[in-house]
Amino acid sequence: MSAITLEKLTKVFATGVTAVSALDLEVADGEFVVLVGPSGCGKTTALRMVAGLESITSGSVAFDGRVVNNVSPRSRDVAMVFQNYALYPHLTVYQNIGFALENKKVHKDERHRRIVATASIVGLSEMLTRKPRQLSGGQRQRVAMARAIVREPSVFLMDEPLSNLDAKLRVQMRAEVLRVHQSVGAATLYVTHDQTEAMTMGDRVAVMRDGVLQQYGTPRSLYERPANLFVATFIGSPEMNLYEAGVSSDGSLALGSQRLEMPEAGTRLAGHQGRKVIVGIRPEDLTTASAGARGTLTADMRLVEMLGDEQHAYFSIDATPFGGAGTAGQDEGLLATGVPNGVARVDSRVPVRAGERLSFTVDTARLHFFDPDSGLAIGR
Amino acid sequence: MSERERAAATVAVPKGRRFPPWPQAGRAQRGLGAEESRRERKRRERLEERDAAIPVELYGLKRGTIPLLTACCVLFAVFTLIPIVWIVINSTKTQANIFQSFGFWFARPFEFFHTFGNLFRDVDGDGTYSHWFYNTVLYSVVAGVGATVLAALGGYGFARFEFRGSRLFFAVIIAGLLVPITLVAVPLYLVYAKVHLINSIWGMIMPSMVTPVGLYLMRTYVELSIPRELLDAARIDGASEVRIFFRVALPLMVPGLMTVLLLSIAGTWNNYILPLIIFSTNNLFPTTVGMGLWLQHAGNSGDTNLFPLLVMGGLITIIPMIALFALLQRYWRGGLLLGSVAN
Amino acid sequence: MSSTTEVIAPARRETAARRAPGRRRSAYARRRGRSGLAFVTPFMIVYTLFMVVPLIYAIYQSLYTTKLIGGTTFSGFANYSTVLKSGPFWGGVIRVVIFGGIQIPVMLAIAFFFATTFDLGVAKWGRVFRAIYFVPFAVPIVVSSVMWGFLFDPNYGPFNRLMNSIGFHNFNWLSGNLMVPSIIIIAIWEWTGYNCIILYTALKSVPRDLIEAAILDDTPLWKIILRIKLPLVRPAIIMLIFINTIGAMQLFIEPTILNSYQAGVVTNTYTPVIDIYNTAISNGEYQLGAAMAVVLAFVIIAISVTSLAFRNRRREFG
Repeated sequence: MSAITLEKLTKVFATGVTAVSALDLEVADGEFVVLVGPSGCGKTTALRMVAGLESITSGSVAFDGRVVNNVSPRSRDVAMVFQNYALYPHLTVYQNIGFALENKKVHKDERHRRIVATASIVGLSEMLTRKPRQLSGGQRQRVAMARAIVREPSVFLMDEPLSNLDAKLRVQMRAEVLRVHQSVGAATLYVTHDQTEAMTMGDRVAVMRDGVLQQYGTPRSLYERPANLFVATFIGSPEMNLYEAGVSSDGSLALGSQRLEMPEAGTRLAGHQGRKVIVGIRPEDLTTASAGARGTLTADMRLVEMLGDEQHAYFSIDATPFGGAGTAGQDEGLLATGVPNGVARVDSRVPVRAGERLSFTVDTARLHFFDPDSGLAIGR
Repeated sequence: MSERERAAATVAVPKGRRFPPWPQAGRAQRGLGAEESRRERKRRERLEERDAAIPVELYGLKRGTIPLLTACCVLFAVFTLIPIVWIVINSTKTQANIFQSFGFWFARPFEFFHTFGNLFRDVDGDGTYSHWFYNTVLYSVVAGVGATVLAALGGYGFARFEFRGSRLFFAVIIAGLLVPITLVAVPLYLVYAKVHLINSIWGMIMPSMVTPVGLYLMRTYVELSIPRELLDAARIDGASEVRIFFRVALPLMVPGLMTVLLLSIAGTWNNYILPLIIFSTNNLFPTTVGMGLWLQHAGNSGDTNLFPLLVMGGLITIIPMIALFALLQRYWRGGLLLGSVAN
Repeated sequence: MSSTTEVIAPARRETAARRAPGRRRSAYARRRGRSGLAFVTPFMIVYTLFMVVPLIYAIYQSLYTTKLIGGTTFSGFANYSTVLKSGPFWGGVIRVVIFGGIQIPVMLAIAFFFATTFDLGVAKWGRVFRAIYFVPFAVPIVVSSVMWGFLFDPNYGPFNRLMNSIGFHNFNWLSGNLMVPSIIIIAIWEWTGYNCIILYTALKSVPRDLIEAAILDDTPLWKIILRIKLPLVRPAIIMLIFINTIGAMQLFIEPTILNSYQAGVVTNTYTPVIDIYNTAISNGEYQLGAAMAVVLAFVIIAISVTSLAFRNRRREFG
């Protein structure tokens, strides 16, 4: 039995907006699952339906196999960490953490023990007498987590808890959240818009867009085998390079004026001979090579960003980038002036300069292909 | 293309992928169609409000709580409306009927228009109601507008400028709230006596333009709705302070202005003590003082037909205020008293 | 050329002089400050002329006494001592304190009850009710006193008739014992709607996720209201207590108007403001009246401040 099971979960608001559409998801016991997607994709609404704070239009939410659609959020035994922490401003940290225990009429001594224990898990033992306004953002976030942990719930929900922290703190807190998750061990559903958080924290990651689940799998599978164009570009930074390409009858790829031999074309691009596909190349899959060698792409460097341990080399090739002609800034006139249409991650020891012409080796096994009409991945 | 343009073009990085339009749940339903009518907009706002509120089921109420609470609300609504209903019904009665017939239902003869006509005549030598009404409108509108102007200027000045003594001045103004009316009205009368301002319209209007509450509201509103950066940007563009006030700040202050206007007009409209003290000629009275006078005389002498006039006069006094509040309702920012721009 | 140096030199001197007290402000900032002063000046002028000047004049006058024989002489605190020893005056003070002491908590409780009901959405047609409750605010106090006067009228009013018909003969809402309670009813009628709207606005500003967190913690509704919402709207309640206290202490119109319906109950010293009006205007003893008004001002300040402090402390425990 999975700890959390969502089956065709749908939410349509009174104003007619469909926020979540037929979402299928399951979270195993003790698993840390991340729901990720751009703003407005329905991830928070889905989370709130699991909590019981939003009514369910159709579909079901089940805990350990038991459907909880009609169970009040009070009785679902879920704890939630809110984006803005939702701390009671007029209560001390001690009282904030203990609030839920008071409701359950836990005895005062037992309550005290649990509050102190939880506070030490999150590292707030010194702060118990302070009020939220006297705490920093990171400390408030930890109080919010402590408040959820102390209840020892069976399901843990987190709604973008790190979004309000500055970048450096966010990186620290990611590790904190995972550490807490390991010590508590409850099934956790975590919502974020940050794909880095999703990839680094999740046991499995669900990508959502406009209320529809795009793909659900381990971070590795999302990265190596994206199911569609959206997932391909959402995961991974910098974004995957996408171009329109033609598949010739012998299986090789025509990328603008260049050709790429495809040894495994037979299996992967079967049925697409003579047709157009979208080819995706991750910036990290381009390695600089000597010019003219087989299986290479030649590109004109436009701009090089130096990041320290690596460089981002923006280049143009004379293939049509996906987005089509007519996209702003992509018409022929500007292409001629050299607006870059691709980026590669190059080791900082390799000398790259704007205006040069470089060749990249392409590992054709790591190319991604997508159907231009449906956007779905081909050949996996 | 010039060198500069070319250089600018080269650093552009492609943005915004277009994905093929495969079926997407949310956007299709969001139907960005033609402009909605006013009724549709209201309906949408009401639904959004309902979506934004916590559903009642989550409160765990026992059965019958909602009907019980609704009943309480009805009871209090009845309580609130009793005098209003009474005054509407009894404005149609003769004096005799006011006293003898059942208070909450009509009685013949139906004298509404007759009584209404009497409002325009000086029935008892105390003055004409219609004249009093005109006075009330005059004082309220002029004082209301004046108060709003002063409060707007002052609130803007206190909120967005720093000058020596600003905190002190503001504190002194707010302290004015603690002062009882008579401590100001009585000596005002004496001062007026010296400068011949007794029975002067301006003697009534000017003090009514002093609203510490209005100033406080405007200052709060300006602080919350006009970012300093906006004014600084205008200053950098070389605009004079006066121009900035009228062009940049004032349009943003409108809801606050409306709230203060409403409160000032209502405050002056309802004022009783000040005009009571400073006016001695009947035809300068506002309706409040006039009606008080009628009541005194009606209570003393026996054979006057003042009571229907009194009732009718009360009714007529109420109507414009209620209409004004209803009209300006959407500008009302009651939250200002609490320091927020909420409604 | 020389004129510009003359212009610049004084400015620099001014800046130097300004720096001495330890406050550095550029000429630009000071010019800006002067604009601010200009904006504030109109209000300050009218405020000073029509509020501060009368106030000072009143205090000044309170130190004098005018007799028919002997003219106006400086009498120092003689007027004040008269006021402080005046039984009727303090009787009036006690009366309004009792009045306010009952009216304000009752009215705030009712207002909070309905504000909460509307905020939670646990009654239907909230908007309609809110609009209805606000109507009394648009009614001048004179008019509402007249209306209620008719309703309470001992001889002809419907309420008395009702009481008579259910067996309480000779019931008089405006009798000596019931006058203050009746005025309390009127005041509640007049002010509850306004207070309710203010509280409703305050309640709505409590962040939604706070309540949702409380719901997930299985907090019962009464606890949500009393332990979460109420403490968070405390600033609004304090402000309302403050405003209402100042208003209650200055009770004048209702008793004055009701006097016409039931003679004899409302004396000349029924409330402090009635006493002041009577003394200063009707009797022409405006200096004594001024002293009374000053004393009343102090009483109001004292009571406002203590009621705030009292409330503060109670809330700490509550």
